[in-house]
Amino acid sequence: MGNLIVIKDLWKVYDVGGQKIEALRSVNLEIEKGSFISIVGHSGSGKTTLLSIIGGLTEPTKGTVYIDNTDIWKLNDSNLSTVRNERFGFIFQFASLIPTLRTIDNVVLPVIFKKKGNRKEIYDYAEEILSAMGMSDKMNSFPSELSGGQQRRVAIARAFINKPSIIIADEPTGDLDAETESEVMDFFSDANEKDQITFLLVTHSLELAAMTDKIYKMKDGVFSE
Amino acid sequence: MTDKQISDKLSLIYLASQNLMRRTFRTSALVLAIAIVSGAIFSTSTLMWGVNSSLKKGLSKFGADLLVVPKGSMISMKSALLTGEPSVFYMNRGLMQTISSVKGVRKVSPQLFLTSVEGDCCVIGNAFIIGFDPQSDFTVMPWLEDKLEGPLQIDDAIIGGLNTYNVGDKVFFYGQTLRVYGKLGRTGIGLYDNAIFINIEKAYSMAEESQNIKGVVPLKLVRGEISAALIQLEVGAKLPYISFTISKDPGVKVITAGNIITSVRQNLVTLFSSTIILSGVLIIANTLMIGAIFSTIINERKRELGLLRALGARKASIFRLILYEATLLTGLGGFLGVVFGIAIMRIYQRTIIFNLKALNMPYIWPSVDSIVFIALGSICVAILVGIAGTFYPALKGSKLHPYDAIRTGE
Repeated sequence: MGNLIVIKDLWKVYDVGGQKIEALRSVNLEIEKGSFISIVGHSGSGKTTLLSIIGGLTEPTKGTVYIDNTDIWKLNDSNLSTVRNERFGFIFQFASLIPTLRTIDNVVLPVIFKKKGNRKEIYDYAEEILSAMGMSDKMNSFPSELSGGQQRRVAIARAFINKPSIIIADEPTGDLDAETESEVMDFFSDANEKDQITFLLVTHSLELAAMTDKIYKMKDGVFSE
Repeated sequence: MTDKQISDKLSLIYLASQNLMRRTFRTSALVLAIAIVSGAIFSTSTLMWGVNSSLKKGLSKFGADLLVVPKGSMISMKSALLTGEPSVFYMNRGLMQTISSVKGVRKVSPQLFLTSVEGDCCVIGNAFIIGFDPQSDFTVMPWLEDKLEGPLQIDDAIIGGLNTYNVGDKVFFYGQTLRVYGKLGRTGIGLYDNAIFINIEKAYSMAEESQNIKGVVPLKLVRGEISAALIQLEVGAKLPYISFTISKDPGVKVITAGNIITSVRQNLVTLFSSTIILSGVLIIANTLMIGAIFSTIINERKRELGLLRALGARKASIFRLILYEATLLTGLGGFLGVVFGIAIMRIYQRTIIFNLKALNMPYIWPSVDSIVFIALGSICVAILVGIAGTFYPALKGSKLHPYDAIRTGE
């Protein structure tokens, strides 16, 4: 199976008040399609920065990121946005819902940036994912009417709406109780097996990391082993 | 509406409208501020449009290319013409002969202005009586909207469109009984809307007979004199040449329709200068205010904008989203401003027209089409204020790096 993601000599240096902080130092990584990997490490080790560069959210200082043989950081804004929209599903570590939209609309939100697709099918699919997340009775609730865990489940459902090939998840089960965490991880595993979706998880939890196929440990901007 | 239908509305515009609903007080205050700008622009433009168009309409109906009046009476003539304010001034009728002989002059018709005073027999208030010559006339008879059967008689009068008499009524001046033969259509030109036109020969005899009526202030004896000569030029005639030739007579002044329009426009700009300046200041102040408020809004929603970018929004989509918010907000403000403007103008319409007339400005309310055009223009200006104000913040918002915005957003 070919590599879906290839990272070569990736650097990210932040300028904080004139001081150079090396968040990533010559990171190299190859990830096959359908992989289920986790990246663990302490805060500030560079794991979130790495995921944001892979996901086209922040530009590297140096190095290349290939997604399906395309160097995404050489794409213009429009094409890079299309890659983010169609190839990636993001789950952030904060509550990331639009407060003025209902649950169903929050899930469908990425579709408005996509020019193709049948609306009815998309909404049906959104309902299907929300049901799988145990949110079928909250379709028309606003985020303020949901608990932190419920909001997190809506954000997870949203990550799947465009049927992405890569899910980037930063502490995806942070607000969830043990039972829901397990259900979500089962959902991820199913999607990984059935749809060959590649998962990149960042977590502090070694227990959660143990549920993935491969664990990468990061320390001071490099893989430690 | 089903839940599915609610969801089907999801689009950038829907998202923009929902964003505006978040802070209802802030949105309402901005809408109100824009409504004031739009209302000021709409009201000023409607009034200026009304004066301008009624003037143009009136002068186009007027039919005379040039007016010749005694020197020193130009201001009185403009006042008489525009508002129907009774004025009297005279010059020798012999001038008609001289004007007729000028090359390019097609028709010349005299008019004689008389003013009855309050207390005259059977006439309440001042009346502006104008003697005209039906034989050479080309500015009164063509605009008869309603008239009696048969030709105009020596004892007949024609009344302006704003006059309260009806066709067939009898009117009395200085012992003379006149029959209202016809009524002119409304022109917006005060002279034609308010005056009472009678045969010039009748006017001369009325002036003479007024000397013998006890208890009234007699009219000035005017036989052989006229107040104005109205000139119609031949097609292709050179107006500046003819005007120059006639002006060689040191006792007269030549007025063109252009002179009158320019003079009214100058008055109009002077009258509305404070409103125009105020509108300009409001436009600038609101543009800056919207710019400042949208900068704050974008700062508040930095994380959200970063999230939208992460979900696939292009820079252009973010830019459009912010401009849509501004457009919806200012469009609504613009619309409300027009509604307020119409309401205020309807409430104060009599006062407005009275004050404009006092300033020698004819006024007819613009047509519905024109009002719609002005309203749309005012709303467009309001929207442009929004777009101009949010352009820079929107550009800045669209350039946010997704991860930085998510990380540093509040």
